[in-house]
Amino acid sequence: MSIETHGLRKQYDSTVALSDVSVSVGDDVQVLALIGPSGGGKSTFLRLIGGLERPCSGSVSVDGKTLPDGERALLEWRKRNGFLFQAFNLFPHLTAEENVILPLVEVHEISREEATAGAREVLSRFGLGDHLAKQPGQLSGGQQQRVALARAIAHRPRWLLLDEPTSALDPEMKAEVLDLIDELRQNGQRIILSTHEMGFARRAADHVVFLSGGRKLEEGNAERLFTSPETAEVRSFLQKVMKW
Amino acid sequence: MKAFLGVFVSVVLGSTFCFVFWVVISHEYQWSDIAPYKGNFVSGWWTTLLISAIALVGSIVIGALLTSGQLSPWSAPRVLSRTFVEIIRGTPLLTQILIGYYLVAPAIGWDSRFGVGVLILSCFAGAYLSEIFRGGIESIPSTQWLSARAIGFTDAQTYRFVVIPQAIRRVLPASAGQFANLIKDSSLLFVISVHEFTMQAREVNANTYATFEAYLPLIFGYFVLTFPISLISRHLEKRFSYEH
Repeated sequence: MSIETHGLRKQYDSTVALSDVSVSVGDDVQVLALIGPSGGGKSTFLRLIGGLERPCSGSVSVDGKTLPDGERALLEWRKRNGFLFQAFNLFPHLTAEENVILPLVEVHEISREEATAGAREVLSRFGLGDHLAKQPGQLSGGQQQRVALARAIAHRPRWLLLDEPTSALDPEMKAEVLDLIDELRQNGQRIILSTHEMGFARRAADHVVFLSGGRKLEEGNAERLFTSPETAEVRSFLQKVMKW
Repeated sequence: MKAFLGVFVSVVLGSTFCFVFWVVISHEYQWSDIAPYKGNFVSGWWTTLLISAIALVGSIVIGALLTSGQLSPWSAPRVLSRTFVEIIRGTPLLTQILIGYYLVAPAIGWDSRFGVGVLILSCFAGAYLSEIFRGGIESIPSTQWLSARAIGFTDAQTYRFVVIPQAIRRVLPASAGQFANLIKDSSLLFVISVHEFTMQAREVNANTYATFEAYLPLIFGYFVLTFPISLISRHLEKRFSYEH
């Protein structure tokens, strides 16, 4: 149960998003946090791990398996994970419940009855029992993100990938969503998240990778990295963001 | 200024309407002149209804094919569809009907005015519809695609469950307009002597010289065909509506 990347590089036209990133995360890590300034490569790294995009060069391996090349194999890779985005990305024409049911039925080939029961169970657990029939447009940002989280975990993914899950939320909703993520962690869910919530990263993550300008500046045990960062840039970043 | 413009527009529109209304009611109608030709109107109206109904289905099929051609990952269908759409949209329908019936149809040994007329109308409306469909599909934000990929949907599933249901709502008003145009455009088929509604009215006029009486039924006849389309479209818009 590990994540390894070697010389990972991703370029969009002339913009280099990720350059020569090698990371080694051992079996013992349950929560991996990606931190660093905006535009530093966190989202790109997450998308490459999740098989949403292919690297220009370098390799990714998760739990001993190497990220495949072909679209079919990548699809299988993606199915095993759960993904959550900053902007929720729910399907606006479907109800909250249907957003969770649809992938279970169509992708994971679970019967509709079973999927409905599963979706209701997880949505109720997330405090959305009264909102099953509402469309995303009728829900608050926090509620939408909780539906999106329900959708991401309903098929019991091996890894839950969270891309700045609370960046678009106000403080109260942030807390709601972070509480849920923490609850999932306590139940043994393995998580990789990119975040600007340093307090949460420090408390919940076992391992932290600091990315800036598309490069990995530092990685290591969360407590160690937050208390005694090795590089000046990481130190200065943490001082700035932890100041308030 | 705005108020003045409003009053001005109302006065112009109001007086134009009054004038037309006065012309229409002050005319001394000789309905008895056209009474013997009642059957012509009825058969013409049915022919127009039949042509429109078949061409409406045909235009949706052709429009959908052209849209998939234009969105295809391969260049041959893209270029072919694009060329077809540009030629159809860039030339008058009247010319297409004449060339289609007098040049193309004889070359392949096809001698059905009705059939050729329906096919040309289908192609004409299909070309416009394909642009409406393409616009609708391309207006679905890329985040929806990303989300669908993350869930593990194939491209086909993404179109079926995510993109097309949302695009339908967006293309309905413009498509309804195109369908209404299709019905009205069918009146041009008189040039190849298809005995549709307008052709019949022209013949009645030629036989009776009762111009008003011959042409007035056209207004009602076409309106009862186009108005339901407007109503159905609004009904569907509501059915497919969702909050953004």
